[in-house]
Amino acid sequence: MELEELKSQWNQSNRKLEASTRLNTLLFAQWNLRKADTSLNQLARRITFDLVVNLIGIVLLGWFAADHAGEPRFIVPAALLDLYAIALLVAGARHLFEVRSLDYDEPVVAIQSRLQRFRLARIRATMWTLLFAPLMWVPLLIVASRGLFGVDLYAAASPAWLAANAIFGLAVIPLAIAVAKRYGSRLARATPMRFLADEIAGRSLAAALDDLAAIRRFAEEG
Amino acid sequence: MRTNDVQAAFVDRLDRHRGILVKVAGAYCRDAAGREDLIAEIVAQLWRAYGRFDERAAFSTWMYRIAVNVAISFHRSEVRKAMNVEAAEPAILELLPSPPETQGDDALALVREFIEELDELNRALMLLYLDDNSYAEIAAILGISETNVATKIGRIKQRLKRDVAARNDV
Repeated sequence: MELEELKSQWNQSNRKLEASTRLNTLLFAQWNLRKADTSLNQLARRITFDLVVNLIGIVLLGWFAADHAGEPRFIVPAALLDLYAIALLVAGARHLFEVRSLDYDEPVVAIQSRLQRFRLARIRATMWTLLFAPLMWVPLLIVASRGLFGVDLYAAASPAWLAANAIFGLAVIPLAIAVAKRYGSRLARATPMRFLADEIAGRSLAAALDDLAAIRRFAEEG
Repeated sequence: MRTNDVQAAFVDRLDRHRGILVKVAGAYCRDAAGREDLIAEIVAQLWRAYGRFDERAAFSTWMYRIAVNVAISFHRSEVRKAMNVEAAEPAILELLPSPPETQGDDALALVREFIEELDELNRALMLLYLDDNSYAEIAAILGISETNVATKIGRIKQRLKRDVAARNDV
């Protein structure tokens, strides 16, 4: 059987389907236009929400820093948290710009390449966020204790306790990567833990890179 | 033009080219509920982009571009979800029925099976080819050269021949 022979079968079948969907398509289109929401819009809203949360965090940290000017023991952890929040804000703003500027009315290969690069950027941002989060634990504890409860953790906890927490934060990073690589694939696929493990171990990144390579191969001549 | 007029014109064009929706959704989604979701997403995306549609261009080419782009993205996310489901509920996936229109029609079942085996981009190429688009139109929609289109279609034809021969041998 030749491909040409299949064309008529294919078109005949689709004509039947087309005829049976006339009214449904119309009704559906009219209903859908009022709703007119796309998954890209939903993603943009989620990113905007994250941006607002980060912005609030940055403002609160600025407030905290102003209240503790001249106190390096509070300013340094607040500055570390601020840098973390600003990095998240910049990454989020770039993602939002990317989503807002996506136009599906462009050739398929170009758009799919862009979408894959965007997916890569999101995965990398999530990876870095997850990996740096344990480092932020001690600064967050110091700032939150002081800012929310007025407790000076340097006085309330021993330096050894603070140092142990900081070391734990550092040690957790390579440990998390090793555990995610070794045991992550054993977790059930649908669970959030599996999602985290795939991100930390770099499996999501590898899959996205494979998809991007496949698009490039398709676009290549011959 | 008033918003209602624009909307009416859009829906009218959409209805005249509804075959594109049916074919693209059918090629990228096996179950009826998924096809409905995909069509909803394509229509929403078409409506979002409609204000930028250049009236000098062919509506079908513009529609194909958006529909295929949305379908590939949708399919990728659905495949990821399906992979999640597969581990948890393998039996349910086994029992999913085939689309009714393919039952009792070997040739059509073969072409659908063949399309489903292709990756997302080659599937789009095949779909556009089966729908009688010229190499130039396919190239414009996909964003590759006409030579590349011709080469890939040649390869798909050879693969189909091999598949049919292998099936006949069984």
